[in-house]
Amino acid sequence: MTSIQDRDNSVMLGNGIKPKSEPLPIDLPDSAAQIWLYSGIFWMSVTMLIGVVEAIKLFYPEFLQGVPALAYGRLRPVHINVGLFGFMSMGYLGATFYMVPRLTQTPLFSERLGSLTAWFWNFNLLGGCMGILMGFSKGKEYTEIPFPFDMMIGLLVIAIAGNLFSTITLRQERRVYVSLWYILLAIIPFPIYYTLGNASKFSGIEDAIINWFYSHNLFGIWLTTLGLATLYYMVPKQVNKPLYSHIVSFVGFWTLAAFYPWNGGHHVIWGPVPMWVMTASVTASIAMFIPTCATMINFGGTAWGTWEIMKRDVSYRFSLLAYVCYVGASLWGTVLAVMSLNAMLHFTNMTIAHVHLGFLGFGVPGLIAFTYFYLERSLKLKYSQNLAEWHFWLTMLGIIGYVVSMGISGWIEGAAWEAGGSPQSTMVDRYPYHVARAVSGLIVLAGQFLFVWNVYKTVNYPVSLPTDSLDSLQKTGVTS
Amino acid sequence: MRYISVFPIVAILCILFGSAFTGLVIAPGVASDVVRAPSVGLVAYSPSEAKGRKIYAREGCVYCHSQQVRNVKADENLVAAFGVSKAGDYFYDLPHFLGTSRQGPDLSNEGRVWRREIGAPARDYLIGHFINPRQYNPNSIMPAFDYLSTQELSDLTDYIQSLGAWKDNVKVAAAGL
Repeated sequence: MTSIQDRDNSVMLGNGIKPKSEPLPIDLPDSAAQIWLYSGIFWMSVTMLIGVVEAIKLFYPEFLQGVPALAYGRLRPVHINVGLFGFMSMGYLGATFYMVPRLTQTPLFSERLGSLTAWFWNFNLLGGCMGILMGFSKGKEYTEIPFPFDMMIGLLVIAIAGNLFSTITLRQERRVYVSLWYILLAIIPFPIYYTLGNASKFSGIEDAIINWFYSHNLFGIWLTTLGLATLYYMVPKQVNKPLYSHIVSFVGFWTLAAFYPWNGGHHVIWGPVPMWVMTASVTASIAMFIPTCATMINFGGTAWGTWEIMKRDVSYRFSLLAYVCYVGASLWGTVLAVMSLNAMLHFTNMTIAHVHLGFLGFGVPGLIAFTYFYLERSLKLKYSQNLAEWHFWLTMLGIIGYVVSMGISGWIEGAAWEAGGSPQSTMVDRYPYHVARAVSGLIVLAGQFLFVWNVYKTVNYPVSLPTDSLDSLQKTGVTS
Repeated sequence: MRYISVFPIVAILCILFGSAFTGLVIAPGVASDVVRAPSVGLVAYSPSEAKGRKIYAREGCVYCHSQQVRNVKADENLVAAFGVSKAGDYFYDLPHFLGTSRQGPDLSNEGRVWRREIGAPARDYLIGHFINPRQYNPNSIMPAFDYLSTQELSDLTDYIQSLGAWKDNVKVAAAGL
């Protein structure tokens, strides 16, 4: 039995639906997916660049000093919001707009709407970020984008969700592959918690609880789900065999959907909130062990025995890097929610290491894997293998450097505070790790530069793959 | 599983998300153990303090400074000096500035360190420190807020000096009785 993700990767104009006339470029299949994907890559570069500037400011604060818009406190929310709504949201929505027509065997409900929402999203995000830089931040983490740009994001997601949901409803393929489950989870509740997080006017502790409910859902059931959907779609194709176990992915999905939305309260463990908020969130955070294990088993099982492909296919290697970092970041999150460890490590750089293992370790390689996958498998173009190899090793080195330096720094801080120290007293100890972090960031940025250059050259000066190369690729792809 | 329909997936997802929504959004709004009253002695922000608070938000101070003392070993010194933060302390805070990271010190009791009663020296220190933190601590990585206007620096200082200051007044009042 062929599973859904093994189906032909043909570009679709629908089964038997003939266009009345030559379609406009905006109506061509995948035109929306391309805009989303390339925008995602653009914002990924922007957020990395800002990240490096901030990292330098954290050990050399005079860097770019004197320009209010480039002050650390204004760049940091831009770094985060571009990362969330630019790079992750746009990039993975690109992957979603690519996957949904293929998984449903149905043309996208409206390519034109998809492209328009992408352009609106870009300009809206640009406006929001300019607003933050000019000092109009709303001042609460992950909700900094000022009115009306914040509400526009919610409206755009409704338009996007409508587009995708209509496609899913009109689908020709009745079976619903696991990627589509994740996409459904991403697009359905978003408008609710997003509006709640951005427009609510609670004060004090209620504000904090709702703030973290919103922001953890943003990571958990918006970005993570879109990322996992992409991996679930891509990895079986890359190794040319079906997913290890659909039962395990079933368990993984439903436990994730059940536990993730409860995680928000773990940002206020030991904080001035009622005990039951902490208990519920700590329990749910620790229960996240189950979906993480399910993902670990599923991708591990699928990837087992594919060393040959791993050596040859950079895109696949990026998928595996994303997978390993996803599992690592999730388990780390579970561990950090353990109350005794949280007491020591909350507020330290350990949190920053954890977050970056998620975004830089899972988000970045996942999107890169999809981009190479898209160039090769869908556009049938040959990208520079050499640049891609350099890109991979630089990215991996940067991720390790970042996470290890911040992890050690976080541990030093936690230990020092428990021994009676303060953030000021650890300043000197943290210095070398802050430098190491900036260097790691620069390494990632260098890799990103090669990546953008590679994609640009591949798309604008196309070299087609030899027609038989994909076939031979897939034949040799099946090992044991 | 072959013809699994989308509707049951959507329905179950709604139930699962709805339960979390009930637990973390609706329940804190109705539960009796969520404090919805100001702590005894808590004072609302004066106009200049409120302006200072807006500057605190605009310049992103919250990304490096928490405003929360927890009852844990890492905060032992803070607990000994200032006590643990309570829910009612944040009654007038919109948005909240609990924070997620301590690149710099916790500020929830900064108004008890640089007290208003000290007068000019405290204000001069705070304003000077905003303008050039490394003049006071060469290892500091705090950005220099030398681009703020004199009025903005004054408002921000008012806000910082209000943080936790009311707790001392409560103590004084209690001692007076």
